[in-house]
Amino acid sequence: MSETYTVSVEDVSKSFGAFKALNGVTLRVRQGEIYGLLGPNGAGKTTLIRLICGLLEAHAGTVTVLGQRMPNVGVLRHIGYMTQQAALYPALSVEENVRFFAAINGAEDGVKEALELVQLYDRRGSVVATLSGGMRQRCSLACALVHRPELLLLDEPTVGIDPQLRVQFWEYFRSMAAAGTTMVVSSHVMDEADRCQRLGLIQYGRLLAEGTPAEIRGQGGSQNLEEAFLALAGRRES
Amino acid sequence: MSGHRIAAITRRLLQGFRRDRRTLALLFVAPIVILGLLGYLMRGSSSAPQVGIANQDSGALGSVVANALRQSSHIKSTDINASDGDAKLKDGSLVAYIVLPADFTQQAQAGNVAPEVHLEGSQPGEDTPVIQALQQAMISLASGVAGRNVSFQPHITYLYGGANYDTLDYFGAAFVGLVVFFLVFVITIVSFLNERSQGTLERLMASPLRRGEIVVGYMLGFTVLALVQAAEVLIFALAILRIHNEGSVLLIFGMEALMAIAAVNLGIFLSMFARSEFQAVQFIPLVVVPQVLLSGIIFPVSTEPTPLQWLSDVLPLTYAVNGMRDIMVKGADLTWGSLELDAGVVLGFCVLLIVAGTTTLRRRLG
Ligand SMILES: Nc1ncnc2c1ncn2[C@@H]1O[C@H](COP(=O)(O)OP(=O)(O)O)[C@@H](O)[C@H]1O
Ligand SMILES: [Mg+2]
Repeated sequence: MSETYTVSVEDVSKSFGAFKALNGVTLRVRQGEIYGLLGPNGAGKTTLIRLICGLLEAHAGTVTVLGQRMPNVGVLRHIGYMTQQAALYPALSVEENVRFFAAINGAEDGVKEALELVQLYDRRGSVVATLSGGMRQRCSLACALVHRPELLLLDEPTVGIDPQLRVQFWEYFRSMAAAGTTMVVSSHVMDEADRCQRLGLIQYGRLLAEGTPAEIRGQGGSQNLEEAFLALAGRRES
Repeated sequence: MSGHRIAAITRRLLQGFRRDRRTLALLFVAPIVILGLLGYLMRGSSSAPQVGIANQDSGALGSVVANALRQSSHIKSTDINASDGDAKLKDGSLVAYIVLPADFTQQAQAGNVAPEVHLEGSQPGEDTPVIQALQQAMISLASGVAGRNVSFQPHITYLYGGANYDTLDYFGAAFVGLVVFFLVFVITIVSFLNERSQGTLERLMASPLRRGEIVVGYMLGFTVLALVQAAEVLIFALAILRIHNEGSVLLIFGMEALMAIAAVNLGIFLSMFARSEFQAVQFIPLVVVPQVLLSGIIFPVSTEPTPLQWLSDVLPLTYAVNGMRDIMVKGADLTWGSLELDAGVVLGFCVLLIVAGTTTLRRRLG
């Protein structure tokens, strides 16, 4: 083995009944890297992320996280998972939510830091049901990273939030990656791709291409990532 | 008002139900099941109570009355010794026994008979068929005393309860437990479903939490709520409603706690089979109503048709209700075998449901 990866997905397939949601996907994520999982709605991004944290089991192929075959309960305390919808307890306050997720991960000392990172420390007493969508999204992020996981899985974290907050989110991600956290961020918005170190393009459950944004541009033959994606998708179909 | 727009709403509603098979089934199957059960319970009941007869009369008229009692359709009679009577009331093999005293014939000739009627007493209304049968049997006395009028003054005693014991005392004992069971069940099933639909369950599954920890954590949380509720219900029942209580308050509370724990786990277990709160609420008539009908709260299990008795015997609520009544009406304590059985079955049911809830709580979502 020349290199060890934080996440390594090898030739993974997953079906729901007769429907193949993932078909022979292989990708590898290095430590401290921001990996962008890009693809349209229904491409299989959420399914892939659930496989990586062991919520689903692959029908074929293997998923390895931090050196352990998934699903593996022992690895879970090193993973942070931000689900696609902001999954929070609406009747609890911001701080109570974050404290709960800290407690089940055995990391209550991280609450204040997490709240400060997402700039909700001043709003920590607000009940989640009364928050705006963007604040909920930030609270959800705080819940995912409060136990300082080595691997953060973020499923479309920037969907439905305003451009200002989106810029902020990417700043958080960059500073965490700089501190050594590995991140897998899914998105269906191509213009976020340039913020990732490496990208995996996914469509109809298949990985179309993988590489740095520059490499993807080269493979697709276009300076515009959106066009490059369409070119790669078209090539696959023909 | 636009008929067109109203029709759009009506149509949309019916279209939705067409796809929701489960709701349709509930709408059309549940009433038949519940009414059918009720009909079978009431019509099919083998209801004549078991009554013992102890004829101690030295004269001839005692056996005339005893014979008439044996023919009565109101009761099923067996001959017993008066000294065994109380034991048979206690073990439940008799509902009542009648003693015709040694001087019964002389009493009749003197124009005034006072047979002893010993009632078990825990169930209101159980004296009616016994007194009816006795009154009819007295008619047969007429020939023996050559047409003289005999006045009839039975001497009635109660093993439990007593003359002041009323319907509320009988039902109250069971309802104290049932109210807690029912409300805790509904709250648990709905909040566990919330956990699923708001996506937090997926987060919990992706955390280091074990399934057993989730189930036990839920159980403890709701049990705390349920115990506070149980205490409130109990205080209200005993202090305000003044429901008859012979037993230890602590024991009643313990039984209520067991029922609450069973209800929590039943809620967690059944929430695995519902996709929405709407579907979860549908479990209430299907799970709760038949159990209430068969638990002996309204219709004593011993008077049910035999096949329904088998069903009652495997439902945990039957034991819970029986246990509550034993404590409150009969003053049972833990030295009573029947109470040990009741508590043991409810406890066993709790354990079974914890295991079932934990195994059905899928670690994986697909
Ligand atoms: N539990 C499931 N049962 C059946 N089909 C599913 C399930 N989860 C996902 N799918 C299907 O798999 C495909 C990929 O879904 P998903 O991974 O959620 O896509 P994405 O996150 O990229 O939008 C979709 O067509 C979706 O309908
Ligand atoms: Mg998705």
